[in-house]
Amino acid sequence: MNVKSLLLAGVSASVVAGAAFAAPVAKEDMVLVVSVINTTNPYMISNIEGGKALSEELGIPLEIVNSNGSSQTEIAGIMSILASGKTPIMFVNTVASSDAPTIVDAVKQAGGYVTIWWNKPADYKPQDVGDNFVAFQKIPGLSSGACGAKAIAEAIGGKGNVVLLPGVPDSTTSKTRVAGFRAEIEANWPDITILDERPSNWDPQLGARNAQDLIVKYGDQINGVWSADDGMQIGAMQSFENAGLLDKVKFASDGLYPKTLEDLQSGRGNNAIVGETFHRGYMASAVGLYTAYLAATGEIVPSELSDDKRESLFQLSCVTPSNYEQYLQYDAPDAPAAFVDRLIANGPWATEPMPLVGGGAAAAAEW
Amino acid sequence: MKHLLSNESKGPVGLIVSVIVLIVVFSFLNPRFASVENLQNVLFQSSVPLIIVVGATLVIIMGSIDLSVQGVMGAAGMAWILITPNTRTELDYGAWAWVIALATGVLLGLFAGLIYDKLKVPSFVATLGTWYVGLGIGIMLYGNGLLPSLTNETLARWPTRLSLGIPNSFWLAAAVLLLGVLIMNYTRFGRGLLAIGNNEIIARSSGIRVSRYKILALSIAGGLSALAGILATMQLGSGSSDIGSTQLFTVIPAAVIGGTALSGGEGGIMRSALGVFLLIILNNGLVLAGVSPNYQQGVFGLILIIAVVTVAWPHRSRLKVAK
Repeated sequence: MNVKSLLLAGVSASVVAGAAFAAPVAKEDMVLVVSVINTTNPYMISNIEGGKALSEELGIPLEIVNSNGSSQTEIAGIMSILASGKTPIMFVNTVASSDAPTIVDAVKQAGGYVTIWWNKPADYKPQDVGDNFVAFQKIPGLSSGACGAKAIAEAIGGKGNVVLLPGVPDSTTSKTRVAGFRAEIEANWPDITILDERPSNWDPQLGARNAQDLIVKYGDQINGVWSADDGMQIGAMQSFENAGLLDKVKFASDGLYPKTLEDLQSGRGNNAIVGETFHRGYMASAVGLYTAYLAATGEIVPSELSDDKRESLFQLSCVTPSNYEQYLQYDAPDAPAAFVDRLIANGPWATEPMPLVGGGAAAAAEW
Repeated sequence: MKHLLSNESKGPVGLIVSVIVLIVVFSFLNPRFASVENLQNVLFQSSVPLIIVVGATLVIIMGSIDLSVQGVMGAAGMAWILITPNTRTELDYGAWAWVIALATGVLLGLFAGLIYDKLKVPSFVATLGTWYVGLGIGIMLYGNGLLPSLTNETLARWPTRLSLGIPNSFWLAAAVLLLGVLIMNYTRFGRGLLAIGNNEIIARSSGIRVSRYKILALSIAGGLSALAGILATMQLGSGSSDIGSTQLFTVIPAAVIGGTALSGGEGGIMRSALGVFLLIILNNGLVLAGVSPNYQQGVFGLILIIAVVTVAWPHRSRLKVAK
């Protein structure tokens, strides 16, 4: 064999190897994975629903990783699935931002495809990692805070005092929601004062306790209460009700889960809830998984996508007592399956009510 | 009475002084701190940890530990709300709901006690396992359905409603506290627990039924965690398997701050209760004093260390927590 044929053999071998690497993964070799922070929070439960709906539609088995609030449990759970030999198509709702690189590296090693939702380090970008880290996706926290601020400000006539109940203080989601709230008040509502801010760790009971302390501290000076999610708001509303103040104070938060929806519909406490935001966990997981699935099948090549499809922001809807009815359809029992049908028809970036609205160049993690 | 005080007051004078100093300082920083409204608020917030700390102290005094608190609370709270008028199920078992939920707690405690005593597994491990068993039951009951909320207004309002100016939930806690102090000081069982904590071998040779006492103490602690789970569920008006979240890290530090030695054989229920008040007042005071949330945790820790060092200094050889 001369040098030329040796070279040819080398080239053809590498072409074959390269083709094998980029070859689309067959369906029967795939497993869908939904990794959630816990299995009790309604949002996380909804994440799982989205995974189930897509799994049924695509005919690919689904595995759930319950992190139980711990990064260690999360990573251990994901590692054990990666060891199974199938190609993982993953949606990961990270426990902490810092988990993202560890998880992505492991998935990359295993030849899988992952979409991370909500939390990742700001400077850790899918574009720098490669095609296995398909995308980072989230709903912009800034819009969520702004929705709540606007709803409360309008409800109290543009004048008065509000208190805030953020989530876990160092969570990006909480930080961006609070920043959105403050920015809206600062820009458009000069007569509204933010009296106090007490992080309540996404915990309804802590929300209730902090609300009690704030009631003692400010009494009837409080005109509005904003919570970074509706779980904490449930606790806060209970405290204001116990103090006999529920019908004098307006509430807004993020989530619109059944208990909150019920209070909004029934007009509990003199129509105490004036604003909510709407997005559902099943939409996030279905979009995340489907984006990763398209990368695995070769229908999209992540490195050829525009930046806003690698670091993506999806639409958040502002809900008020006058428009909530149009969102009820998305909580119907067959809503996840219907959403998945539309998702497959329209692709991950153009499915109502959660189309892509931005992302890319600016650090999406900061939004 | 004299006997009760002499037993309970060995350590807590310094602690009482610390609590009073905190009250004075916080009242100075915000006059609303000393208002009747805030007193009611503090009593309301203390109720759940006070109930748990009674059981926790019984267990710690015999030199063991009960980590199952949060899991038991979740299981019992969910069991209770699902068979009490709520938005998810149509079941109403009335008083039986209480019996079933409390029995869930007692059985989980019994389970931990049997593993601890019969299989000779350290209480730390036995109760840690029970925590997750309880949490598992809570999560199973929670399922994927709607958040169950109380539909009975009377029940939902009961914990905050005032009797003689004090929230009902605190009356419940006070009754448990009183019962705990009486058991601890006036029964053979109470003295037996102290003896086991001091020296198990001597306790055994002097005829104390160590096994039975250990199992009973953990069962009582389970029952009290269940009661706390029910009360917390009523306070929130909704059920959740996480209803006990963070309580363990209020209750065990409270017992230790109160001077109940983790090594056993020393301490008292009233002292642990003072520890609970210290922690609740500290948190409440920092909010009312307007300490920025960014610094609150840090300031909380610092003041706590100062308070505990001040309390413990004269008794540093007796606190026995530095092992």
